[in-house]
This record gives sequence, structure tokens and C-alpha cells, in this order.
Amino acid sequence: MKTVPKIDPILLSVYARTFKSITDEMSISMAQTTRSPILCEAKDYVTGLYDGAGNMLEQTENLPILAFSLAPVCKYILQYFGDEIYPGDVIFHNDVFSLGNQNNDVAVYKPIFIDGKLVAWTAVKGHQADIGGNVAGGYNPNAVEVWQEGLRIPPVKVVEKGKLRKDVWNLIFANIRFEIVQHDMKAEMGACTVGERRLLELLHKYGLASYEAHKQALFDATRRMMEAEIAKIPNGNYSGEGYVYYDGRHEGSKFTIRVDIEVKDKHIKFDYSKTDAQTNGFVNGTFTSSASATILTLLQMVNPDIPHNEGMVAPIEIVIPEGTILNAAYPKATTFGNHLCPPNADAIQRALAPVMPDRVTAGWNNLLASLTTGIDPKNGEKYVDIGFMGLKGGSGAMRGTDGYDHIGMIDASGGVLDQDYEMFEQQTPHTLIKHELLIDSAGAGEWRGGLGVETIFEIGSDDTQLVTFGDGDFEPAFGLFGGGNAGLNFIRLRYPDGHTVVPRNKDLISGVPKGTVYHQVASGGGGYGEPNKRDRKLLAEEVKNGVISAQAAREQYAFDPERAER
Amino acid sequence: MALKIGIDVGGTFTDFVVTRDGAEPAIYKTLSTPADPSIAVVNGLAEIASGMSPPRSIEVFTASIDTIVHGTTVTTNATLTSTGAKCGLLTTKGVRDALEMRRGIREEQYNNRYTNVKPLVPRYLRAGIEGRLDRNGAQTTALNLAEVQQAIDLFKRDGVQAVSICFMNSFANAAHEQAAAALVRREMPEAYLSVSTDVLPSIRFYERVSTTALNSYVGPKLNHYLDQLVSRLKEVGFKGLLLIMQSNGGVISPQLAREKAALTLLSGPAGGPGAGLFYVRVHGQNKCITTDMGGTSFEASVAVDSPMIKNDGEIARHKIALPMLDIHTIGAGGGSIGWLDQGGLLRMGPQSAGADPGPACYMKGGRLPATTDANVVLGYLDPNFFAGGKMKLDIKAARKAIDEHIAGPMGLSIEQAAAGMYRVACNNMAQGVREVTIKRGFDPREFPFIPAGGAGPIHSCLICEELEIPLQIVPRESSVLCAFGMLMSELKHDFVRTFVSRLGAIDWARLTAIIDEMAREGARQLAEERIAEAKRRYDVKFDCRYIKQYHEVSFLVPRELIARSDTAAIARAFHTEHNRLYGYALEQENTPVEIINVRVQAIGVTDKPHYKEESWAGVDASGAAKGRRSVYIPETNAFAEIPVYDGHKMHCGNRVAGPAMIEQETTAIFVSAAFDCVVDAYGSFVLYQKGREDLVTNCLERETEGVK
Repeated sequence: MKTVPKIDPILLSVYARTFKSITDEMSISMAQTTRSPILCEAKDYVTGLYDGAGNMLEQTENLPILAFSLAPVCKYILQYFGDEIYPGDVIFHNDVFSLGNQNNDVAVYKPIFIDGKLVAWTAVKGHQADIGGNVAGGYNPNAVEVWQEGLRIPPVKVVEKGKLRKDVWNLIFANIRFEIVQHDMKAEMGACTVGERRLLELLHKYGLASYEAHKQALFDATRRMMEAEIAKIPNGNYSGEGYVYYDGRHEGSKFTIRVDIEVKDKHIKFDYSKTDAQTNGFVNGTFTSSASATILTLLQMVNPDIPHNEGMVAPIEIVIPEGTILNAAYPKATTFGNHLCPPNADAIQRALAPVMPDRVTAGWNNLLASLTTGIDPKNGEKYVDIGFMGLKGGSGAMRGTDGYDHIGMIDASGGVLDQDYEMFEQQTPHTLIKHELLIDSAGAGEWRGGLGVETIFEIGSDDTQLVTFGDGDFEPAFGLFGGGNAGLNFIRLRYPDGHTVVPRNKDLISGVPKGTVYHQVASGGGGYGEPNKRDRKLLAEEVKNGVISAQAAREQYAFDPERAER
Repeated sequence: MALKIGIDVGGTFTDFVVTRDGAEPAIYKTLSTPADPSIAVVNGLAEIASGMSPPRSIEVFTASIDTIVHGTTVTTNATLTSTGAKCGLLTTKGVRDALEMRRGIREEQYNNRYTNVKPLVPRYLRAGIEGRLDRNGAQTTALNLAEVQQAIDLFKRDGVQAVSICFMNSFANAAHEQAAAALVRREMPEAYLSVSTDVLPSIRFYERVSTTALNSYVGPKLNHYLDQLVSRLKEVGFKGLLLIMQSNGGVISPQLAREKAALTLLSGPAGGPGAGLFYVRVHGQNKCITTDMGGTSFEASVAVDSPMIKNDGEIARHKIALPMLDIHTIGAGGGSIGWLDQGGLLRMGPQSAGADPGPACYMKGGRLPATTDANVVLGYLDPNFFAGGKMKLDIKAARKAIDEHIAGPMGLSIEQAAAGMYRVACNNMAQGVREVTIKRGFDPREFPFIPAGGAGPIHSCLICEELEIPLQIVPRESSVLCAFGMLMSELKHDFVRTFVSRLGAIDWARLTAIIDEMAREGARQLAEERIAEAKRRYDVKFDCRYIKQYHEVSFLVPRELIARSDTAAIARAFHTEHNRLYGYALEQENTPVEIINVRVQAIGVTDKPHYKEESWAGVDASGAAKGRRSVYIPETNAFAEIPVYDGHKMHCGNRVAGPAMIEQETTAIFVSAAFDCVVDAYGSFVLYQKGREDLVTNCLERETEGVK
């Protein structure tokens, strides 16, 4: 007869801390061993631990938009392979039609066994530099089906019982452009091994029965924390909308994300049934990318100390019908799906603002990004530059706190960093002219939005290719409770002959000549509360520091800096 | 007979270690004087002098001191409390916000209430100046000196005390910075000036501008403090050599510290790691993990031959890219407060009761349960013998605080709750040790563990059990380890130049010229510090990476490899270090390697105190026995009556079986049931895992001699 071990409340803390330390260690391993800048610099990856049934034990979420597809896929893999999962297996997965979030986000899963029993999984998912398909890097604004975007990888064992399946490995990487992806997938596998070693140490120390009982207790404790947070929201039904502009194919197209939120005691339900239908382009979400967006937005409204495990997501229900823009049906293109997070977050903030005025933020600057590729004339080598520094606008203000300047999209929330200016000039042929906070770009308010940023550089290679993807050039980040809207995003090219080209927000432009000036604005976040209530001393300081102009101070805040000085 | 004193200023106490050749080091502690820390320095010297037999006047005593090595937290505190100088910045037009934007990071991603750190220079005092160098250092736009003048006028009007200069790509050409600096020196001769190419002439703009701005931010404060210290020491007759501890584990003259104040940002804890190495050498070891548990924080670092260095540190969320010891700090100390989170889980810290009001048992107004309170309840601390009996602890207050905040809500007994606090605190510290070992590619089990700080050796057994470390060494000076380590430090001057080149295509003449130039500058500084040529050494390091990687690996390059242009050997050294750090190398793949920076460290060897080895005094420790008391034993999760020994009466070779307590005036050691203890030739308490006598044969071999 099995005896149920008693829960040791102290040991429970030890488990919780150790799980966190394991996923952190896996994350550091990734940062140090990957080579693609989107992984090692921008940290576009998540590391996690799951129990034998695929329940989340802990995650380190450098980029949260990837985060909440890992546990569902783990459960799918269990179902897929049934009892044919063995010690020493390593499984790859990216397939968006079996709960993956984006083609480029390729996951590695490693099952962990004790005495022949499957007791846990480690997993890592990172954004790979290429995944095959029509366009290098994966952003293909012309795609209408998944095959034009990249290689589908349903659950596949690349290592079985400790033996590398060379045939499978070669099949996958024969379909991917850059060799660097092989190295970075090895780095994901390495990080899984790092986590496995640490978890096994822990399990050998305390025993399987203790682990099983305590993880359940941990889920329960976390669930209670999350339920307590939800219980603070008044019961009721709340609705909000967010908007997506242009699907990459149809000029002037616009789509609406509609969320109906039902709060009932300790339970919260997000229902997207009234959301617009999927597009006939690549501007479509997958279930897990959209659900991740929902969860990460909610997490910013609750106690940030809640551990990230199955208990945290248990009280949250998410309904996204297939065939909507947030959950495209097979075989639609979906690469843009992660970037539907900002309008999704907008819809949620708008819906909950009336009942959670202390917790919501005004609108965040919506992502507008670009990528330049070409040949550096200095050494004749190919360069690829993702314009991280240009894309990071301001966050929305909340009651009591201004928005964060130059933080970037809500789905990363300051987790993605600018290139260093001097490294940028070493690794690309471009010359930086300006990268500064953009004056008056934030929405005015008693608490103002975070400031956006202005980026200007001169392109230093001929026949340069520019890819743009994003939004925020039609509708600014919105203000709340009397707070003002922010400004609009744009990207503009001034060619050496003087003519100007404004790329669409999802575009591919070839043959950009050397000497062209690239000009981008990632604007600010929305303001919160009546601007004329803003602290006058703070305003005087901001005018002195030149982040709010004297004119804007007068017009938006009814504050005359000259008179104040006297 | 050389008299050397190490002085470490802490938040509560200022520590002194006095060494004379051949004599056992003496330890003193006096209360710190935060308003002017130099007062405590002089107070302590006076107390030491009057405590001598026969008592001496402070003048007679200080006149006999050869060297004082001083660690200061003046610059650290100015940064942590945002009380540095009013600063101005001259930088390149178009990038004046880099300092404030910090590459756009928000450290707490899910916390929308988390605001950005206040910039070291307010925006209106950051002037973007026209003038531009390209990525190779060639001028594309001339420097506009009229704009520099305008900025200077503004700085003067606004009462700016310190000016920083940092221009784009100056690492490749310092001309614009030097021209601007000349104008600042002429127009603002009183101002403290930091020029990025003097402070840190290496690539990466944000790192350089942040480091330069930090230097200006703390420079005036450090100068003011050194003025006070030097004049006070002079008043009491000090004629010897004063040296200042730097963050890199070396010492420098006060004059250099004044110019590069940022070098002292982690001066306080920097003595520890070197001291740890000293104590393991008697065991034939060259590596150790040194930890220091204070009131608020726990510090951990690793040394292999010399302490580990990092070039990408941070203080109060500001980047500092000067080489400094890789010391990892977490919020875990004697004052760390125990609390229950929303889910009812027990947590310890990072909030701390500090020294004031302190833990509940201090009876200074603290009501929240801290680690020290748990230690009193568990029997590790004798309430009547804390700090040698100088301070009484109130066990009732400790029990009450734990009952109210932990035991009651969790439905546990007070003892169970205290045991839980102790275990969670030890687990936190073990995770801190993982940061500097496992995460840096080291296996902690292969390292002797040095616990320092008054409370460190109470927790070290459980930390070591968690990490499976079989050997601990607790020095007699463990409560003042940093002050002791300062006396062991060499003079160290770091230089760096950016030198971007493929390893396979090095311009050797240019490389050698750059290295020679840095070595010459080092020689000049060492000469000023009166270091004889025979005692100077120059270590060369390269920062390299595989092509298209973003992070460099810094590794030692023997100068003979450069002399004979041995690319293959240098590449091998890089592959080896990369493999050690990250578990793989791309040697087989023939991936090209590129150099980014070249570094020189000029080292001046200082005279060390001679440490006499004790002769073997037999296994029997019964002469040191001072009673028994009930103590919590983690291995059995129960209390037991265990023997208590007076550490001062234990001598080389004495052995004690765990579980046991060993008490000294400033330190209590808990030998858990998993360890035994033997005293080594330096008088250190060596705790080894039961059955692992093989680790301490040097202490046992004499046993055989003794029997003969």
C-alpha cells in the first residue's frame, strides 16, 4: 500500500526555489551558448520544467509570448507518443497546428526518468534564425499557407534512447538555410540536459513520493494565490476591442479583436468568439500565441511574485474559436501571430479598465520592426541586423506610475535589449545618426505614458533588403481616464537622390542603395488621468530636461513653464 | 619588524587586522561612524594603541605602522543612495540618452510599477556635441568646440561638480575627447573630470558612458573622504604607506584612486576572495569558494590561482565595465526577515532588519523575525556570549517574533518554524553559491569552502551538504576576512585597448606596440608607488569570441606566445576556456575566432605578513570543552544536547566530532552531524565530511609524528 508523504511546508519552499533556480540556470546556458543575436542578445526564448503529465512546474520567460505553449505541447507529445517515450529521447516540435505558437519558435523536449518511470520533462523553446520557407528568417508578408512560411515539425524524435537519429536530423536541417540553426538547436538540447541533471539531483535527494506530493501542494498554493487575485475583480462581464491594421496583402484592411471577459468569484474566462475571421495573409495567430498574450497581459495586473506553474494558469479559461484571426485554421499562414499580442492586450486593458482602474495600463506602443540585410563593403560578408533599438516605444501609464520610456512591445516588456551603438557600427555597414528619446511622444496624463524613441541611421551597403513587420502607424497607443493618446509609429527611407519611400507596416523592399537615410519612430505609450492634475514640479523638471516641450506643457497640461519659473 | 594594518569599514563595525612578522594577527572591531568614516579609523587605532601592553599613545603607535591598507564603501554608498556629485556629460550629438535608456531594459518584466533608475546625469546636463569618428576612428565630422564651450557655460551656471566626456567610437581614436577635455580643464579647473578613453578605452558605447559617468558621480566624494582620512592620519603621526583597496582585488595609491574613483565601487568585499586562497594553501590547494555572510547580504566568489574577474559588472542597475572581482551578492544575512507569501510559503529576505533596528532579539525595536532570531532559538547562538558577551540577545523576543509571524500562521511549533527559517536561508545561500560555481562552469564539490562573517560558519554545514561540498575551512580571522585579505593584496593596474582583428590575421607589430604602451603606463604607475622593477609583473589577456558571437571570453595569454606569433597556441587557449565556461568549443568546425580587446594588468608585488605555522598539539580537544547545550541538528530534524568548545583554546591537530559547537569571541561554528573538525597549522578550523580524513591528511600526518 502506498503511503502518502506528509507535506513539509519548509520543504515546499525548497522545491519552489530550486525549480526556479533550475529554469534560470537553463536560461543562462542558452544565453551563453547560442550564436544567433535574437537568442543570445534579445533572449527570444523560454526554458521550463514540467511534471510527468506535462504540467508546468516552473519557467523562465525571457520572452513571455512563447511561454504558454510549452505545457500544452508537452501534453500533446505525451498523447502522441503514448508509451513509446524512452529514457534518452530528445523531441523537437514547432508545428503551429499542434499547439506550437510560431514556426520559427522551435522547441526541444527531454523526458526525465527515475527507475523506468517518466517523472518530468525539461524543455526549451527559442526563436530560430531560419526555418526554411520562402523568405530567409521566416517573415514572409506574401504567405497565405504554412508551407510558404517554413518547415512544419510535428513531434519528432531526433534522439531516441540516447542515439542521435542522423537521418531525421539531416532531413530537418536540409530544409533550413543557416548552419547556425543547428548550433542553436544543440544549445537548446544542452540547456535541457543542464536542467535534467539538476532535477535528478533533487529527486534523488528527496525521493519520488515526496516530489509528487509536494508539487501538487505547490500547484494548490499557487492556485490559491491566483484565485485570490482574481477574486479582487468584481464579478461580471466585461468587453473590449483591439485593432489590427493591414494583413500584408490587402491595402486598407482592418481587423478587430473582441474579448468578452467573465469574472465569477475565483474564475476568469476570456472568450474571443466575436473576434474577426482569419485573414488571407500571414497576419493570423495560433491558439497558443494568442493565449500566451492573454495570460501575460493578465499577469501584469496581478502580484508579480506568483510562481509560474500549473496552479497559476488553472483558474484561467481561454476560448478562441478556430477560424478567427487569433486562431487560424489549417493550413493558414501565421508567422505574424506573436505580434497580435499588442492589440490583444489593448482589448483586455480596455475591457478591465472600468473595474480594475488600479491595475490596468493605458495602451502600450505597438511594435513596428525592421530587419536589414546586405553585404558589408568593408569585408564582403553578409550581415543581418534586426533593428531592436529602433522598435522599442513607451509603455502605457497606470494609476500612480508613469509609463516606462523606451521599453518596447508588451510581449517582451523590457526583456529585449538595444544593440550597442558601437557594435552596431562594427557588425553592419550603417552609421548611427540619432537614437534618442522622442520629445512629446508620450500620451499626456496625470501619469504620462512612457516616451518613445527616434532612430536615424545611414545605410552603408548597396542593394540592401529591408523587411518591415508590425503596426502602430494607423492608431496610436490610447490614453485612459482622461489621459491622452500617444503619437504614431513610422519608418521612412530617404534615398540619396532625395526621394522618400514609406514602406507599409508589413513589407519587403529590395535594392535600397548606400547612402539612404533610415528614419524610424517608435512612439510613446498612452497617458492615464487628467493631464492638468500632473504634479507641477515634475512637469517643470520635464520641461527643463526637454522630454516635454514648453508648447506641449501649455497645450496639453495647461502648464506655463515660463510663468512657473518666476 | 613590519607592522601592517588592514582596515575595512562596514555598516556597523569598522574591522582592523594588525599583523607583525611572526606574530599571530590581532583582530579589533570598533563602531563605524557613517557621517565621516575616517573618525572610526582613528578611534580604532587609538583603542588598539591603548590596549597594548604596555599601553601606548596613538602617536607612538601610528608612527610605527609601515602600511595601512584600507577598504572603503564611500563610493558604493554614494551610488546605492543616489548621493553622488552633480554631473554634466559631453557626448556625441544624437546619442545623449544612452546613459538613461540603459539599452531599454526593465529588469522586472511583469511588474508595471517598476520604474527606471534615476540617471547619473540629468538630461539637461547631457550635451550632444557635433563631431564624429567612424568605426575605425577616422574623423568624418570635426569636433565643434563652440558647442563644448556652450555646454561648459551651462555646467558652470548650474554648479556642476564633475564632468564626463564620452564620444562615439573614441575607443579607436581619443583625439576628440582629449580636445574637449583640454577645454574643460581650462574653463573648469576645479571640476572633477572623467574622460572615457582614460577610464575605459574599449568598445561598447553604453558600457563606456555608464562607467565614465559613474567615475564622475563618485569621484568628488571619494576625494573629499581621502582628504579627511589623510589629514586625520597625518595628525596622529602616520608616516607609512597608505593603500586603497580596489574592486579588482588589488590595491592602489590614494592618488590613483582619486583619478579613477570608480575602481573602488566594490572596494569593501574585494579583500575576501584573496584571503580565502591564503588559507587553503596550507592544504596544498590553489582554489576555493569564499563566502561572506553579513547583516543584510551574502557574498560568494570563486578563486582558482587568483580570484575570478568579470568585466561586465553592475551597481544599482548602472553598468560598470571595469574589471572587478566576480562576487555574487544576494539578500541573505543575519538580518534577513522571514515572511509568508500569498500562497503561504515561507520566504527569507531579501528585506532585512539590518543592524538597526536589527533582529527582534537585539532588543532595539525590531519586531520581525530574522535569521539571527532563528539561530538563537535553534541554540546556535548563545544569548549570553554574542560578540564575546558584549551584547546580550533576548531569546524571548526572538521566540515571540517567530511565533507571531511564522509559527502561528503555519501551524508549526516555534522550534519547527525556526528550523524552517534556517533551512530556507541556507537553501537561498546555496543557490547564491551555484551562481558563481555551476553557472560559471565550476563543480563546487571540488572546492574547499571558506565561510566568513560572524554568522557564516553557523550555516555553512547545511550549505555544503546541499552542494555536496566535503571540505570547509573556517579561519580564525573569519569574522574580519576582508580586512585580512587587504593585507594579502598586490598593487594592480588594469589597462584595456580595443583591437578588432581575426586571430588568423593579426598585425603583430601593432599588437605588440599596444601591449608595450599599456605595460609602459603600468610601469610608470608602479614606479610612482615605489615598486622595484624586480617586483613588477605584466599579465596579458585577450577578449575573444567566435565570429558572429556577441559575448567575449577573456583569457590569459602568455607573453612568449605573442613574442613568437603563435596563433595556434593562443587559439587553443581560447577554445579551452570557452569549453570550460560553456561546455563546448568550435575547434573542430574551424569557426574563425576574433579578438575584440587586449588587456594588460600591471602587478606590483607587495610585502606580505609572514604567517607562522603552529606546531602539532595532539588530537585531544577536551581542554577546550566548556559544556553542553541543546542545539537543532538538521540531519535528524531534532534538537540534541551537544558539546560546546572554546575555539580560542583549540590548537593544531585538535579534533572534534560533529555534532558540536565551537565558539570564539566573534564567531560561532556549528559542526553538523555530517562533519568532523580538525585544527590546521594556521589555526583554522577544518570541517570535513565524516569519513573523509583523506582530505585533511596534512593535519593528521603529524598525528603519526606525535605518536612516535
